Amino acid sequence: MKNSFDEKILEEANDWLNANQKVVLATVIQTWGSSPRQVGSRMIVNETGDFSGSVSGGCVESAVVRECIGLIKDNKPCKKIEFKVSNESAWEVGLACGGEIAVYLEQIN
Amino acid sequence: MKHSQLKEIIKKKASKIEFAIVTNLENGLSEIYEPGKSLSKEFEIHKEQIDNFFKLKKNGVIENTEIFIETYIRPIKVIIVGAVHIAQYLVDFAKSLNFEISIIDPRGYFASEQRFPDMKIINKWPDEAFKEIETNENSALIALTHDPKIDDPALQHALNKKFYYIGALGSKKTHENRCQRLKEAGFNNEQINSIHGPIGIKLGGRSAPEIALSIIAQLVSETYKK
Repeated sequence: MKNSFDEKILEEANDWLNANQKVVLATVIQTWGSSPRQVGSRMIVNETGDFSGSVSGGCVESAVVRECIGLIKDNKPCKKIEFKVSNESAWEVGLACGGEIAVYLEQIN
Repeated sequence: MKHSQLKEIIKKKASKIEFAIVTNLENGLSEIYEPGKSLSKEFEIHKEQIDNFFKLKKNGVIENTEIFIETYIRPIKVIIVGAVHIAQYLVDFAKSLNFEISIIDPRGYFASEQRFPDMKIINKWPDEAFKEIETNENSALIALTHDPKIDDPALQHALNKKFYYIGALGSKKTHENRCQRLKEAGFNNEQINSIHGPIGIKLGGRSAPEIALSIIAQLVSETYKK
């Protein structure tokens, strides 16, 4: 049986919106190989770069935050981004675990 | 996604309805899916696959499309018998793990709202209390009073309803006596052996939060085994 494990990120997004913050929801939509978080894992980001939740084990969160802020600035509704295995020089935005993930970003308004 | 839709999703989650969110990753449109209800045209053409994902309680992108599905399932019901110290910590752990807890304790001084704020506490004997809770093979029981008068009827109910997890607090000796009583009540060895007693995985700790942690760890592990 699958547990309905739920991290209450959507509830937190609602709190942020009620506090007049701009919110982008990031969701893991696909994974390949050994990726740290499963499909459906979520993270929210506001216009100042505060974030909650996770889409990886800390490997790509900083890049996701940047992309989310960009989405708010450009006033775009949504975007899909992919992250692949990192190499030594790009340790900041890659998955050291060797997996690949696709993350979907969407503004809530 | 619109804020109004987010609010609707949160409402559905709170009312423990099983549903899914379908999203078109190209244009950002999303809708709430519920079995038996129709979707708009762009999602309706993928109805069969969406139904499949929903049945399997799976999240993912439908192959060769840009449609993403996220399913929401009902939280697992966990009934705690005994509003004791350990139960207070179990409630804390269960919250972050999204188990739906009900506490049964006929002893009013234990089952007080002050000790368990915002909790469903049934201040009745188990036989009466279980009339108020719908249970099935997806339910779990944690018996904590080690008082046969209170624990035994709850254990019998859980065995009859084939709960996927049944655990009972108490030493090996207490558990042996409990098994003997259940045998005399007509339960077979297979049923009796399905009870986790002494309850919890071996952590070594003896404090209330440590025992609660060992119980909740066993419960999660059994949930994924099923």
